[in-house]
Amino acid sequence: MTKTTARRKYFEDVTVGEDLPPIDVDVSLTALVMYAGATWDFHRYHYDTAFVTKLDMPAPFMDGQMLGALMARQLMTWGGIDCFVRRLDYRQRAMVYAGDTIAIRGKVIGTAIENGRPLALCTVSVTGPEDRVISRDATAAVELTRKSA
Amino acid sequence: MSGRVTPELRAWIGRTVTYEAPEELGRSALRYFALALGDDNPMYHDDAIAGQSVHGGVIAPPTFVCETNQIFQRPADENGYIGHHWDLPLPSTRFIRGGNAYEFHQPVRADDRVAVTWTLVDIYERDTRSCGQLVFVVSEARYRNQRGELLATNRETNIYSP
Repeated sequence: MTKTTARRKYFEDVTVGEDLPPIDVDVSLTALVMYAGATWDFHRYHYDTAFVTKLDMPAPFMDGQMLGALMARQLMTWGGIDCFVRRLDYRQRAMVYAGDTIAIRGKVIGTAIENGRPLALCTVSVTGPEDRVISRDATAAVELTRKSA
Repeated sequence: MSGRVTPELRAWIGRTVTYEAPEELGRSALRYFALALGDDNPMYHDDAIAGQSVHGGVIAPPTFVCETNQIFQRPADENGYIGHHWDLPLPSTRFIRGGNAYEFHQPVRADDRVAVTWTLVDIYERDTRSCGQLVFVVSEARYRNQRGELLATNRETNIYSP
């Protein structure tokens, strides 16, 4: 594991309009197998090329919840060690296949206080090869801490 | 409303089922999940750094708790699947994921023992130009730990194409 230092993002330092750190993911067959293993998802969808070809799919494909997991990775990376994702809501509009590279891009679109919790409100989009829209305008709320806390 | 959403199928709305994990999640499971996502966030593995955070220690990646295949203790079916599914009377259809709406109520810890309750919330049909008549199945999962604390909810939409 990389040596990392504690990094915080304070609510007061959030700028509406700021970008979340962009993440590009090479969705190799190996990556699909790693996620399948980590989630005990042994369905042939995610690794068996001959099986999915019979279903008229070009290649094994990503589990839909891996998309949410990657969005959460981006949000948690941005928010530093004190943050906590409170909500994440996305629709999957297209499949992600082994061999695709996907681009995860997010932005802060507002802030809010809910039940005393300081939140950064974000949107996240995921795009595949040839501008394939995998998910557009997913919404997320990330709880942050205040400097005074 | 036509064809595929029969009264027999609609009778599934409101069904609920609970599964309880036989053991705690375990720290290596959190690290494995993060590794699979290419995620080196220290909050998921580094005691020294996580201990300085408001969370007071290592936590799970947010959506980890919503992946519950390991809870079910079932043998794999002919396609390798071991997780929860509704055995819906929807013959010869293909299943795709439509999306998820997660709410996270508190960070999940390695020593949490998770129970999940699935409820089938809704079944409806939509005509689409590109894919024909699609059946949407909406389920909600609620995840609790061994103290009964609500960890997360997950509203999941799955789509069954003809």
